[in-house]
Amino acid sequence: MEPNEIQGALASAVEEVLETMCFAGVLASAEGSAPPEADGVEPALAAELRFQGNPSGGFRVGASMRLARVVGAGFLGREEMEVTDTQAGEVVCELANMICGSVLSRLESEAAFQISHPELTPPGQGASCAVAAASRWFDLGDGILTVSLELQQTV
Amino acid sequence: MELHVLIVDDSPAMRSFIRRVLELSGLKVGRCLEASNGEEALRVLESNWVDAVLTDINMPQMNGEELLRRMSGHEVFRSIPVLVVSTDRTEGRIRKMLTLGAKGYVTKPFTPEMLREELEHSLGVIHGTE
Repeated sequence: MEPNEIQGALASAVEEVLETMCFAGVLASAEGSAPPEADGVEPALAAELRFQGNPSGGFRVGASMRLARVVGAGFLGREEMEVTDTQAGEVVCELANMICGSVLSRLESEAAFQISHPELTPPGQGASCAVAAASRWFDLGDGILTVSLELQQTV
Repeated sequence: MELHVLIVDDSPAMRSFIRRVLELSGLKVGRCLEASNGEEALRVLESNWVDAVLTDINMPQMNGEELLRRMSGHEVFRSIPVLVVSTDRTEGRIRKMLTLGAKGYVTKPFTPEMLREELEHSLGVIHGTE
């Protein structure tokens, strides 16, 4: 599995999920865990899941609380101020689930995967995805969404 | 005629999304019941009639596969069309769910049009209008 192939799958999956489910567009995106000007600020909300199959690994999505509310508003069809912290967290978890499913099907369309239930992790505690095979950030205008994929074995 | 549905998904956000998408799709939706797993869905069905069940696969306690098995083995519930809504796009999984009795399969992410089309197809299959 080539790094370029993984980056392409991450970019396409995120754009597809955000446009279809959250009515949000991506202004810019690039390889890495954050844009150069971000000063390494940790996202306030992060959802992580594990997947079993060939390959197995982990997947993580992070966003600021403000961005999670904006995306959550699009997903739930509500005003940004109506989206609670709990709902914002649920939407980030659901994004992790959908983006991961989409990425895996792009990378291994024939393989079967068992994807765990996504869970919110405290900022800075993404231990299982600490060694990411690929990371990518996405500027949505209202904030930066980050995704990272960890692979335990390659085909 | 109004369409009464049961949405089964462990994510409250996804249940809200499906409910909204059903309304946006132009279908005339009546009662929209919800359950967070297969076990809860069976309890809801015991006391409520619905025209269709939309279910996720990966859920705690009782997953979508087991829900389909139980419904297929039930004298009354076997006649209710089930539409699977899942992130799993693998051919093997789709085939398995259809073999277990699902009438349709929609992969996330999906548009209101995709959900409507697949739901109408599922309802058509069960009513023999195809």
